[in-house]
Amino acid sequence: MKKILVANRGEIALRVMKTAQKMGIKTVAVFSEADRNSPHVKFADEAVCIGPAPSNESYLKGDKIIEVAKQLNADAIHPGYGFLSENASFAELCEEHHIIFIGPHSKTIKIMGSKLAAKEAVKAYDIPMVPGIDEAITNIDKAKSIAHDIGFPVLIKASAGGGGKGMRVVEQAADLESQMNRAISEATSAFGDGSVFIEKYVTSPRHIEIQIMADNHGNILHFFERECSIQRRHQKVVEEAPSCILSPELRTKMGEAAIKVAKSCDYLGAGTVEFLLDADHNFYFLEMNTRLQVEHPVTELISDVDLVALQIKVARGEALQLKQEDLKITGHALELRVYAEDPLNNFLPSVGHLNTYKIPKGHGIRVDNGFKVGMDIPIYYDPMLAKLITYGKTRSEAIQLMIKAIDSYHIEGVQTTLPFGKYVCEHEVFRSGNFDTHFVKNYYAPEILKEQASEEAKIAALVAVKQYLEDQKLLRLPS
Amino acid sequence: MSKDFKVKVNDTFNFEITNHELKKLDILRVSDSSYHILQDNKSFNVEIEDSNFNNKSYQIKVNGNVFQVSIFNELDTLINTMGFTVGTTKQIDFIKAPMPGLILEINVQAKQVVMENEPLLILEAMKMENVITSPREGVVKSITVNKGDAVEKNQLLIEFE
Amino acid sequence: MESKLNTLKDKLAQAHLGGGQQRIDKQHEKKKLTARERISYLLDEGSFEEIGVLVTHRTTDFGMQDQIYYGDGVVTGYGTIHDRLVYVYAQDFTVFGGALSETHAEKICKIMDMAVKVGAPIIGLNDSGGARIQEGVRSLGGYADIFYRNVQASGVIPQISAIMGPCAGGAVYSPAMTDFTIMVEHTSYMFVTGPNVVKTVTNEEVTSEELGGANTHASKSGVAHKTSANDVQCLEDIKLLLSYLPQNNTEKTKKIEVNLNDEVRDVLSNIVPENPNKPYDMHQVISGIIDTDSFYEIHKDYAESIIVGFARLGGRSIGIIANQPMSFAGVLGVKSSRKAARFTRFCDCFNIPLLVLVDVPGFLPGTDQEWNGIIVHGAKLLYALSEATVPRVTVITRKAYGGAYDVMNSKHIGADMNFAWPGAEIAVMGAKGASEIIFKREIANAEDPVKKLSEKEKEYADKFANPYEAAKRGFIDEVILPKDTRRKLIKAFAMLENKEVDRPKRKHGNIPL
Repeated sequence: MKKILVANRGEIALRVMKTAQKMGIKTVAVFSEADRNSPHVKFADEAVCIGPAPSNESYLKGDKIIEVAKQLNADAIHPGYGFLSENASFAELCEEHHIIFIGPHSKTIKIMGSKLAAKEAVKAYDIPMVPGIDEAITNIDKAKSIAHDIGFPVLIKASAGGGGKGMRVVEQAADLESQMNRAISEATSAFGDGSVFIEKYVTSPRHIEIQIMADNHGNILHFFERECSIQRRHQKVVEEAPSCILSPELRTKMGEAAIKVAKSCDYLGAGTVEFLLDADHNFYFLEMNTRLQVEHPVTELISDVDLVALQIKVARGEALQLKQEDLKITGHALELRVYAEDPLNNFLPSVGHLNTYKIPKGHGIRVDNGFKVGMDIPIYYDPMLAKLITYGKTRSEAIQLMIKAIDSYHIEGVQTTLPFGKYVCEHEVFRSGNFDTHFVKNYYAPEILKEQASEEAKIAALVAVKQYLEDQKLLRLPS
Repeated sequence: MSKDFKVKVNDTFNFEITNHELKKLDILRVSDSSYHILQDNKSFNVEIEDSNFNNKSYQIKVNGNVFQVSIFNELDTLINTMGFTVGTTKQIDFIKAPMPGLILEINVQAKQVVMENEPLLILEAMKMENVITSPREGVVKSITVNKGDAVEKNQLLIEFE
Repeated sequence: MESKLNTLKDKLAQAHLGGGQQRIDKQHEKKKLTARERISYLLDEGSFEEIGVLVTHRTTDFGMQDQIYYGDGVVTGYGTIHDRLVYVYAQDFTVFGGALSETHAEKICKIMDMAVKVGAPIIGLNDSGGARIQEGVRSLGGYADIFYRNVQASGVIPQISAIMGPCAGGAVYSPAMTDFTIMVEHTSYMFVTGPNVVKTVTNEEVTSEELGGANTHASKSGVAHKTSANDVQCLEDIKLLLSYLPQNNTEKTKKIEVNLNDEVRDVLSNIVPENPNKPYDMHQVISGIIDTDSFYEIHKDYAESIIVGFARLGGRSIGIIANQPMSFAGVLGVKSSRKAARFTRFCDCFNIPLLVLVDVPGFLPGTDQEWNGIIVHGAKLLYALSEATVPRVTVITRKAYGGAYDVMNSKHIGADMNFAWPGAEIAVMGAKGASEIIFKREIANAEDPVKKLSEKEKEYADKFANPYEAAKRGFIDEVILPKDTRRKLIKAFAMLENKEVDRPKRKHGNIPL
């Protein structure tokens, strides 16, 4: 493998290229017209513009990307996350054109991409699942009767979905129809498939996922868990590894379950098996993500591996050299997704120009970043600016370092999730480890952040008035 | 100069700063534009990043966070209460786009009576569907966008009667 | 000593209260700021220095000796606007209703004299019930002292008047002689004789607002150059206006540094319609040429067939005169000629270069126009432009017919650079009218006169309805693409920056007034 095309943008494109470069592999970037100025374009050895800003005219154009790969003689394509990463037909297209798709086989993607097929596949392996229906539906009457059977609250989620899109919790029967419509519409526009599942909504759940890696020599390893329970709008914001509530026994049990899931679909490469953990520490299989996850760096830090390097190695057919028993957890890692969103205003995207953009540096701090000062945040893509990751010997050390790193992360021009991250890190419930996916709903209100900011704002006001009074004393003359 | 000042910070916070507060402020000049402040035993590092004396507006950085401060004197307050505005027209009856995005769906029509919180339209930005709801009970006067339109931030979407 | 200091403090505190808190509240109720508040808003923070704060009147008749207020109803002094020195006076309605006394006038004259000596603009904020009747002729003398100074200062320093309350009788003539009059809507009026006298003399029933309100003077009489929605807007408008003007007649307006790129503006290509009889908005052409959002229109609602105003072009302050095809096809009439002539003279006084945009079908015909002296009023514009020595550049966007072609800053009357767009028609008259005259006999004798006329019309149009005949003669320096207009104009004005013209010595010309 001499040259890899990275079919993605932002921090993940850069992250993949950096490892490729280390391994002596040339890189090709693709970009949309909105991204000419992006760091990934400048970092790659070669870069090709593949179309206008909207992603369905650029980053989602699989045929165009294949064409570029062939033209520039790239042997492999790394899809990153999002965009084409879990698109089975794109993987298939790669296979047809004899380009290595750095990820699982297209048929694996197809199975795991459909919740129904996924459930079917893992059935034989005795994996616990959340009560619900086995088929995806679009019919509202049917939804009503199903919801009735399993009881409220229920969760509606897109069968093709991910990332919180097309996902709705319905607390009472009256809301079902409107929520169902929204979910279907969102799912249709995001994935082109409007069918949804309905299942029992587990209360007080924690989101625990297991990182796995499989080669095509029959080896499947798990790289322990990540805890991703701090979410807003069903999307993760703060992740950590390891989880502070998993006992070594449970960890082994869940790891083995994850490996079984991978086995069930003949897995290859990096993947993540997501579980829900209820209050009694029962775990249920949610889904398998057949790609590198956004939050993979926390796993890399605690298990001292480069997951992208491993991805590339198994993609070129090498066998995994590591053994499960060699792997161990060292230290604790925490990740905050820095989104251009306003935590004071319902996490609405905050579009703008980065007037100031200074990322923190230091021992134990890693920033996977896709932006630079002076850049605009395009409206066409996910509003994530960077991932701020800290690593310490203990959980509390990682948390403290995170707070310090947030303080020295300077962004002006857009609102970001940084203050929210700090709030989480300072919150007693989070620090105690006794939290669930409802953390935001239960403990966070914009007023709290406002209250905190108010103290500093008052200081700013005092200093401004003081300076104003000083300025008043100055003698000024006409120019 | 024993007057109190009304101060607005980041368009979010309103304070009234008294002379007394200013006097007891424990402030230490560290360099030309940076200060250290102790307030209620808490430590604040402050920097004056920008000042516009004529507009009475200052940009102050406190512990790494930047704040825009506007100072209002008595005359400004008077002008405010007299209802004088410069250049701008009142925007109470207009629904504007909170962010740039794409109009995915329009749920109302002109002349339609809407209730508070009723969905008016759906704006897609960064792949999220944001339901724009009615801020009050009223009648839709006109809709200035069409389904599928790309809109700028603050673009007029719906006008109320 | 302590008590002496306190005496001063007391006096100043008293002066600052004007006519007292009650009257101040009343002023606010009327949606008006007080004189001191207005000055404080107008000038840079803390820059105002008051002159004559302790002046009081000297009248002893009618019990006036018992009514003494420091300042005597007018606040005068100097300060800065955007760091530029200005002199300012503001009549204080809370003291004797702002009525003008001998001493009140003296205070105003004092700062007017200083403004002329120093060479800085003077701004008058008028809010006065009129002459102080108790003083009789002394007060009338005070008015005249001001008028005389207005005239002496005219063309030396910019004089701006804001009407922010009543301004009646003799008082109106000071603003009338200054360069610009801005009126606040609903709270100000100006007239020589008020509704009561009008009723007695002519038996007309009319309200103050109708007779002399801001909108009346902005649209009907042209006395007001601009109207503002409220006090604060009015003060902002003054500040903005001032930014286009120099300090005095020996200086030029400071150029703002702007970053220039290629300055090609494609929007200009599609403004003028194909059909010569279709109107378009000349404002679009203006905004296509000038620096973004820099147009400050004067007399917006008066004689709308011509547009005048200030703008920035590549950071340089210029005056623009432009025919407006949207209104009466942009024709020149009595009012529009006068409007443009006055503006031209102002710009010429204060070294502000002139840009003239031409799309004019001629002068407005009719008895009304002729009997009202279109000849003499048209002559004013012709005279004013011919006389102007500032850099003068013309762009003909479409029609330039007949005598109006000559008047609208043609090469012949001293324009420095004359451009035309490719669609320009420069001729004595429209093709149809011209053919009817030239080929009168030929058409009459033709078998099919209608067909003949259209043939001849086409012949004439082909020959003259274009800019090339004029370009051949050098009457047009260059025919340019509309999109290049901004670029060409920035270069032309830069080239003309140091233009100087010597005129033979004379007392003054005799403009046809």
